[in-house]
Amino acid sequence: MGMIRGDDYREALRRVKPEIYFMGEKIDSVADHPAFIPHVNSAALTYDMAWAPEFEELLTTKSHLTGEKINLFTHVHHSTADLVQKVKALRALGQQTGSCFARCVGHDALNALFSVTYDMDKKNGTEYHTRFIDFLKEVQKEDRFISGAMTDPKGDRSLSPSQQADPDQYVHVVKKQKDGIVVRGAKVHITGAVNALGHMVMPTTSMKEADADYAVCCYVPVDAPGLVHIFGRQTNDDRKCSGCLLDQGNPDYGIVGGEALVVFDDVFVPWKYVFMCGEYDFAFELVERFATAHRQNYGGCKVGLADVLIGATYALSEVQGTSSASHIRDKLVEMVHLAETLYCCSIACSCQGYALPAGNFMADPLLANITKLNVTRNVYEMARLAQDIAGGLLATLPSELDWGDARLGKYIDKYMKSVKDVPAEDRMRLLRLIEGMTCGTALVESMHGAGSPQAQRIMIMRRANWERKKRLAQKLAKIGEQPKLV
Amino acid sequence: MTDYKLNVTLKYCGSCNPLIDPFQVGSRLKEAILNEPGLKLVAPDDKSIDVVVILCGCPRACGNKESIRRLAKNSIVVAGASVDQVPMAEKELPAQVMQKVRSFCAEGKPISRSPAPARRTRRHQPG
Repeated sequence: MGMIRGDDYREALRRVKPEIYFMGEKIDSVADHPAFIPHVNSAALTYDMAWAPEFEELLTTKSHLTGEKINLFTHVHHSTADLVQKVKALRALGQQTGSCFARCVGHDALNALFSVTYDMDKKNGTEYHTRFIDFLKEVQKEDRFISGAMTDPKGDRSLSPSQQADPDQYVHVVKKQKDGIVVRGAKVHITGAVNALGHMVMPTTSMKEADADYAVCCYVPVDAPGLVHIFGRQTNDDRKCSGCLLDQGNPDYGIVGGEALVVFDDVFVPWKYVFMCGEYDFAFELVERFATAHRQNYGGCKVGLADVLIGATYALSEVQGTSSASHIRDKLVEMVHLAETLYCCSIACSCQGYALPAGNFMADPLLANITKLNVTRNVYEMARLAQDIAGGLLATLPSELDWGDARLGKYIDKYMKSVKDVPAEDRMRLLRLIEGMTCGTALVESMHGAGSPQAQRIMIMRRANWERKKRLAQKLAKIGEQPKLV
Repeated sequence: MTDYKLNVTLKYCGSCNPLIDPFQVGSRLKEAILNEPGLKLVAPDDKSIDVVVILCGCPRACGNKESIRRLAKNSIVVAGASVDQVPMAEKELPAQVMQKVRSFCAEGKPISRSPAPARRTRRHQPG
């Protein structure tokens, strides 16, 4: 098969029976519940755009395992061109959804595991890579959406996994059996957890020998017994269930990806889905390669979202009669500058990517971390500029329900209108879209998604060649003896 | 051993943002090659080169390109802290490269080339 469509994905979601809770309610079908439909729609677009002639060059590729045409989100990158293609595909998807489409996380997990399983086998003579290749073929054949479940609750941050008072603060192996393992613990803020078909569980930090039980990587189907999903609240999420459409801002795709707390209450995993079990000395490699792949993404998807935000802000300035003001133009130019700077970063870390021993390619880790660290700043600055241009109505606009009221609607139409010939409704729609993209959850995702800023700083600290920089300066300043090269 | 002297040359990536010091690795290699009776250090434009050691500052390995590998029958790639994709500490790089060069020497004559890097030539996608 190799490639499915959005409706096939929705049907696949209806076939599984995961345990999901939201606002005190047990959810029967995420594909049919208003709180989840925007997230499902957004992920579905990763399938449908792959079939569209306008986007297939970005969203499809050839499997290096079977030679078949596959969706990009099940591909393992084998060139810098592949890495660049991913960034462009993410930007295109961001432009069409204006939201998170969630499939990149599992995709990045596949890429990280492809190389780490190879390296583990090479060192230890294990069979993880062969096992992983079989799993990858399964994923490619079904075009399966899997989430990447890395972040543990972590308990006391000053202690390692094995030192925690509560041993379940990190996912760990509690039993090894002939036919598989049993895992316990939880993963937090897992994007796409409730609308994926399964989770790729990965360790979240570097580990030592005492942490060996915590060095576990495995695939768990979303409806595995003992797996519990508790969906997180988002800013203004009650608007999704209130019958309002305009007030949602982006009713089709939502404002950001849906995250959940995923609890592993003694979940059994067969050996065929176990890709690390005790190899604590490879935990850091897996975290770094996954983080590199995921941080590389952010100058793609977030720039696609920025295209929408800049467009909304520009359109709103026209609707409000401010578009010709020089300070508005300056601010719009600044937003483009900020967005394209992020794109430059993602393209650069992709072009500077390199081959790993397994043959697949990863982005340059230093530049990928720079990309994500810039995202934690530039996205906020773009949001600030958009709010500046939009004006206070962003926070005081009357509700869609009052606009629809027989008595009040005429007042809102009259007083929310700005330039001639443009109805108040247009202005309200743009304001709600900007509100969704700049107020609350969407911004926090830019800060902490793919790791908090300090995580990037730690990687930058490790990767920068401080001694060389120092020697370059000392040579020009004529301090000590430095080798003369030319 | 035969009287055959293996001609070895060094090529650098240019080191725009290196994780190691390729110049220092190169200096140590030059010294080791000059002290090894079976080896001869030659310039990259020499007509008969047996081994080209490509010294790259980071795993991107910009110097590892066909036009450089073609200079010799054999190539060894240092890319950051690794030799032919096997990771190791920076201080071990010269010794590991020399061991590889000697393995060519022990053959009495140059053997087949190192494999080309796993890099497909598919064009960048439009976007």
